[in-house]
Amino acid sequence: MEENELIERAKKGDKKALAGLVGRYEQTIYNFAFKICRHPDKAEQIMQETFYSMVKSLHQFDGKSKLSTWLYRIVSNHCLMLARKQKNDNFVYLEDDDESLYTEKYSADWSNIPYKETENEELKKILDDSIQKLSPDYRTVFLLRDVEGLSTEETAQVTELSIPAVKSRLHRARAFLRKELDEAFRK
Amino acid sequence: MTEKVTCKEVMQHICQNLGHELNSEKCIEIKNHLDKCNHCQEYFKSVEITIECFKKYNVELPKDAHQRLMEFLNLDEG
Repeated sequence: MEENELIERAKKGDKKALAGLVGRYEQTIYNFAFKICRHPDKAEQIMQETFYSMVKSLHQFDGKSKLSTWLYRIVSNHCLMLARKQKNDNFVYLEDDDESLYTEKYSADWSNIPYKETENEELKKILDDSIQKLSPDYRTVFLLRDVEGLSTEETAQVTELSIPAVKSRLHRARAFLRKELDEAFRK
Repeated sequence: MTEKVTCKEVMQHICQNLGHELNSEKCIEIKNHLDKCNHCQEYFKSVEITIECFKKYNVELPKDAHQRLMEFLNLDEG
């Protein structure tokens, strides 16, 4: 069944159609929630809350954006709410002209980084540790734009930021994460 | 005559504009710099690898999580 038809049926309370929509997006939403919070149980909790919100608010979905974009907005909000509840303030503070982001030392040998090995546990640990130093709002922008492949405009829509704000967070997040990986692989 | 760009400007530009095809005078100057500067080429490559690493790190929905979700939403067909 086409997605639009599923949405229309789900809006009328058709449980099978709702289950169909959940089935289409549960993997994407779980994966995205995990990438933000880096914890399987929290990711599952966020996924459940996201779909609960979807079921409750689907009648408000006007079809002007893709359903996936709308779901990214809901899941991002749930991730940010959970992060706020946890009150972790140990994030790095990134400034626009932060000199240290553009360090001129290149001691890491990037040709040896096993980035094609998807199951490399050492690399996964480094990636988890580095991204968790970024505040969740920077993480969200980086993940939506660079990892999930949304356009700058869609990322702005999801995060309710202006396009210049998305661009500014994205470039600082990229520079920061690159620096973190560079330092980790220098060791 | 345009001003010469520095490596730091090139690095900032890479992080700001990766994925965009830009043709301003400044961008052309940046591309010219990149063609000649190994240092900045390495930086460019390293930003691309950074993104690639995060793209490739995916997790599967745990076994039974689908069932728990359906029950949570009361969409369980039983």
